[in-house]
Amino acid sequence: MTTWWRRAFPLELAEEGHFSRREFARFLAVVSAGFTAGIGYLWWRKKPLEGASDPEAGPKELPVALGLAADLQPGQSRLFKFRDAHDACILLRTPKGELRAYRQTCTHLGCAVRYAEERLECPCHRGFFEPDRGFPVQGPPSRPLAAIALEVRPDGTVWAVGELPKPTLETLDRRAACPREKTEVTA
Amino acid sequence: MNTPRVRISPAALGVILVLLVIQLYLFETVLGAVLDGQRSVLPGAFFVSLALTAISLFLAFRSTVEHGPKE
Ligand code: FES
Repeated sequence: MTTWWRRAFPLELAEEGHFSRREFARFLAVVSAGFTAGIGYLWWRKKPLEGASDPEAGPKELPVALGLAADLQPGQSRLFKFRDAHDACILLRTPKGELRAYRQTCTHLGCAVRYAEERLECPCHRGFFEPDRGFPVQGPPSRPLAAIALEVRPDGTVWAVGELPKPTLETLDRRAACPREKTEVTA
Repeated sequence: MNTPRVRISPAALGVILVLLVIQLYLFETVLGAVLDGQRSVLPGAFFVSLALTAISLFLAFRSTVEHGPKE
């Protein structure tokens, strides 16, 4: 006897209820091919992804004036746009008195970071970055913020002049990467 | 009469699963690197991924030419 739902939905599939190991293996293999195609696409696509770092753009960069360096006291920050109207960046003076600038895009899921209590904070999932090199120190982000190269001109004005390449394992100065260790070494 | 039976061993399925996990990890790592502006990893990652996919496809489709045990 056919059940009531069979009569209500009289759809018959030959392989209904049967998903063989072979089909599953093929499905997994095709998904695997999809990942390869994804990496291939990233390789083939020359343009950087939306919101991605692009240190290569450096030489043809248009410098952007950010005001007088002396106007920014330690712990203060100022927002600015760099490459276009969507490229939100933050200029800050660290507690040690150095000027730094970063792209505001959090490396976790892209929210805008802000400078508060001597750290860069992402309010979305409470991610924190240290202000000296933009390294993540707490929360979900695992990659450093994109850093903007600055230039202080003789008239005292600060200019954003390009994007710094992100530190890689080869270029990483491990002592600089760990602020606590650095304090101990320089003390 | 002997009917051809298509079989894939649990071991082969396990290998395919492991390869897929490696692919997932590789893709995530490559995406992170690309977002950081490090595109130099792409050629190497692509060929590694291609090799893993070739092994997966071989394991998954090779079984169609095998015949199951005779009854
Ligand atoms: S988006 Fe910044 S912590 Fe999640």
